[in-house]
Amino acid sequence: MTAPFKIRRVPMGRMAAWAVLILFIVISLFPLYWMLRTALSNNRSLFADPDSWLPVDFTWGGFKRVLGLSSVAEAQAEGGSGASLQFWLYLRNSVIVSTSITVGQVFFSAMAAYSFSRLQWRGRNAVFFLFLTALMVPPIFTLLPNFVLVKNLGLLNTFAGIILPFFFMTPFAVFFLRQFFLGISREVEEAAIIDGASHLRIFFRIIMPMSSAPVATLAILTFINAWNEYFWPLLVAQDDNVRVLTVALGVFRSQTPQGSPDWAGLMAAALVSAIPIVVLFMVFGRRVVNSIGFSGIK
Amino acid sequence: MKKRYALITALLALPLAVSACSADATEDADSASGEVSYWLWDANQQPAYQQCATDFTAKNPKITVKISQKGWDDYWSAITTGMVSGTAPDVFTDHLSKYTDFFTKHQVLPLDDLVARDNVSTASFEAGLAELWVGSDGKRYGLPKDWDTVGVFHNKKLTDAAGLTPEQLGALAWNPTDGGTYEKAIAHLTVDKSGKRGDEAGFDKGNVKTYGLWMNSSGSGFGQTEWSMYALSNGWTATDKNPWGTHYNYDSPKFQETIKWWKSLIDKGYMPTLANSTGLDGLTQLAAGKVAMATNGDWNTSSVFGNKSASFEPAVAPTPVGPTGKRASVFNGLADSIYAGTKHKEAAWQWVKYLASADCQNVVAEKAVVFPAIPAASEVAAKAFAAKGANVDAFTVHVKDKTTSLPWITAHAADIDAIMKPAMDAVMSGKAEVDSLTKANTDINALFTG
Amino acid sequence: MADTVTIPVPTASSSTHVKPKSRRLRGGWREAGVAWLFLLPALLGFLVFFLYPTLRGFYLSFTNYDLLTAPQWVGGKNFEKLVGDPLFWNSLKVTLEYVVINIGVQTFVALGLALLMHRLAKSTVIRGIILLPYLISSVVVALLWYWMADVNLGVINQVLGWIGVDPIAFFGEGTWAIPTIAMVNVWKFMGYTALLIFAGLQAIPATLYEAADVDGANEWTVFWRITVPMLRPVLTLVLILTIIGSWQIFDTVAITTKGGPINSTRVIQYYIFDQAFSRYNFGYASAISVVLFLILAGVAFAQMKLTRSDESDLA
Repeated sequence: MTAPFKIRRVPMGRMAAWAVLILFIVISLFPLYWMLRTALSNNRSLFADPDSWLPVDFTWGGFKRVLGLSSVAEAQAEGGSGASLQFWLYLRNSVIVSTSITVGQVFFSAMAAYSFSRLQWRGRNAVFFLFLTALMVPPIFTLLPNFVLVKNLGLLNTFAGIILPFFFMTPFAVFFLRQFFLGISREVEEAAIIDGASHLRIFFRIIMPMSSAPVATLAILTFINAWNEYFWPLLVAQDDNVRVLTVALGVFRSQTPQGSPDWAGLMAAALVSAIPIVVLFMVFGRRVVNSIGFSGIK
Repeated sequence: MKKRYALITALLALPLAVSACSADATEDADSASGEVSYWLWDANQQPAYQQCATDFTAKNPKITVKISQKGWDDYWSAITTGMVSGTAPDVFTDHLSKYTDFFTKHQVLPLDDLVARDNVSTASFEAGLAELWVGSDGKRYGLPKDWDTVGVFHNKKLTDAAGLTPEQLGALAWNPTDGGTYEKAIAHLTVDKSGKRGDEAGFDKGNVKTYGLWMNSSGSGFGQTEWSMYALSNGWTATDKNPWGTHYNYDSPKFQETIKWWKSLIDKGYMPTLANSTGLDGLTQLAAGKVAMATNGDWNTSSVFGNKSASFEPAVAPTPVGPTGKRASVFNGLADSIYAGTKHKEAAWQWVKYLASADCQNVVAEKAVVFPAIPAASEVAAKAFAAKGANVDAFTVHVKDKTTSLPWITAHAADIDAIMKPAMDAVMSGKAEVDSLTKANTDINALFTG
Repeated sequence: MADTVTIPVPTASSSTHVKPKSRRLRGGWREAGVAWLFLLPALLGFLVFFLYPTLRGFYLSFTNYDLLTAPQWVGGKNFEKLVGDPLFWNSLKVTLEYVVINIGVQTFVALGLALLMHRLAKSTVIRGIILLPYLISSVVVALLWYWMADVNLGVINQVLGWIGVDPIAFFGEGTWAIPTIAMVNVWKFMGYTALLIFAGLQAIPATLYEAADVDGANEWTVFWRITVPMLRPVLTLVLILTIIGSWQIFDTVAITTKGGPINSTRVIQYYIFDQAFSRYNFGYASAISVVLFLILAGVAFAQMKLTRSDESDLA
């Protein structure tokens, strides 16, 4: 059987591989370019020239509306709704919410994953499967009871109310880390046990550092999910001082039945709200790269 | 063991929230105070209502109004969640398609006692609007705030190029047999890729560049902006009585011949197929030059006229005159309702009263977004639209000539929609014949008897 | 060439012969105690925010509940209704079609991407680019593709026109609608899935690959004999997660086709939401949700058993 590509042999195989990778990069990026093109267009002229690949009637209006720099008249002239947007406040709120959720979720889920993978106890697999079933819980089941609980705890319109259901764990996080923890070789742990370390030490000093790649990956993914949460924060937190960015930027969607969205504003909003995450990834992404091929045994 | 199960079942069965309290003993107007929460979905109207709120608090210093806006897509789930948990807003903009569920489940407050006590005149609104908001139990659940009709938005550049004057467009007539001057205009406005018009020899209906008329969707059972203007001007009535009829007439020949004619427009190539009209809405297609005319409601007037460009000159013509000799349009209207679980009943009522008063409705009229329910205010709105460059005679003509029809309200609205939508989709996509609607009608009527 | 390469795989037994005399931390009540302590916060979250609502949901599936008045017990009526409901079976069929296309394409693409990134280019930049679609919210993704694939105004049909293909109504044509929605979500999630698999690839000790290189193994052998077995826990994770997520597709349908044309995209989660919040048949919607839940639990259980994923070749 001939191999699809061989690194040391035929350069053609390598070129084919690069071609495929570049194709995927283009496929990933083209719609994002389309978003940028639309964000820099004037809504009013947008559909007068639907075939253009360049921004139509170039304007920064979309971005101005998102950042709250546009007056009502300016906004309405370009097809926006003129609702006021305190961008930096909502950004701050999103950062608070997402960071809290990420820290809590990653930490507590890691502890649970450790329990499910590195410790032996009766019923371990059964309880793990039970946790796993939480992945499949239909959203309509959790929405109302969680909302009523938050209301009864008096946490409506607070950060705690938004954070609470996600703070302790999600089945995804536990599952994800457990699979990775399973893959860690036993030798290091055994050595530590012989040296008299407690499980707590093993967890913090050995397992977590060894798993910095999956943990970092999980942290990034959790942050992204928390950042993009829309419906729950919409229900729970309405006041300006706790409103998150995604909810605030919902103003660019169509507001009336059969209406059309503020396309330029919407695309600008989506791009702008993705920027903080991109920055985060650029900063912490290196950590994901730098822990390649940990050999484990010193 | 049994005891534990019983306890668990009891815990699970606990209602999530204490159900809405029944109305307190009547307070008098002087005790009204507090913060009233008010929700609406149209961001374009928010500035107007914010102004109303400020004016209202100036007149009633003890009451403040907190306005919250949520887009249509999220609005109803948020309201329902609020009702379930007891945190729904004190006052909210209500819609005819939803309020039946609310009052049958006792989530909105009947206003009759308050209307009588404060002598609110329901005759001050446009004819018919106030009756729409009286439930099947005979109680009133909202005071009208605006009305809307439908018209034929079109691209004046394209109609001029086709040689159709505004006078001609304003005098079009249709009939189910040959479509009348209306269909002739549509055919003439349809242009294929080689430049041939729909009524010229050699027209290629498989390669249309610009359609004559757009189809938003199949219209389901209501067809407010799709086909109601034709069926109603053909003399069809949807139900045996309105509101709260119990027998539908989708089996009527008047209705079916209308739909048959409407579908024939697709077959002739003047209107896009159902598949080809799924996607960006008709008014966007109009601005992009893919279609010459599109029927739609007056609530989209600002956005249509705002899309004016070098190739798109927006205008609106009235709906065509039908075999009855008159035009027709559905006359819909929104109202504000009070949540049954409100803790500020009197304050909420004062706010609702203000919203229905001429003071607030004039403020709304000036912003030229909707037509308020009070006749004088809607005149102000018409002028405001004209000042912005939009001639809205096509919408107000129905009120002047009394060619409006109230939307038909019955019970089982959601179930009826679930039957009619696939049925109409099937007919308009050619998968079923028009007479399949008779079977759908039988199923619908069975909901009332069965 | 060497097609049979012995690859040194640490066996599971290497750890068991070391039994320290002094502290026994393996097995027994002490370990169980520590285990439960570690589990406690997550357990709290699980019980309050997942288990209780689920049990309540199960209870509601045996009732008629319209959200605004108290639930009334009706026993198995909802489940009987479900069996005889053609829309329910339709939604199962539609969702299954979606899952097969979505997962089939997405897993293949993601695996390929992860391998390419692992073997060709380990840069953070490329990884970031591939992940970008995931950063955009589902609602915006749906609206964006709704426009790009629009039959009259979309750029995709514009490009198709250049190569002489007639415009395709991607969202309007019954046979195209579900595949289109599936591919939109492949676009959104392929980077994310690739990242998960990539993290698993990174966890494979380099020593194994070095040994294979020394023995002169070719790429294909390396892939099948080292990569795939070592990836087993992660691949299972990815498959279970993506399949479960796929079954619960909702946002894209709600923004674009809303169940049309003629029910060809009425996926099960959309049907549930419609019944629950628009039709106020919360009890019936709960019953359907229970069925969905059981299907997914069955799928996950079968997968885990089949792939023995609670073991790993290293531990």
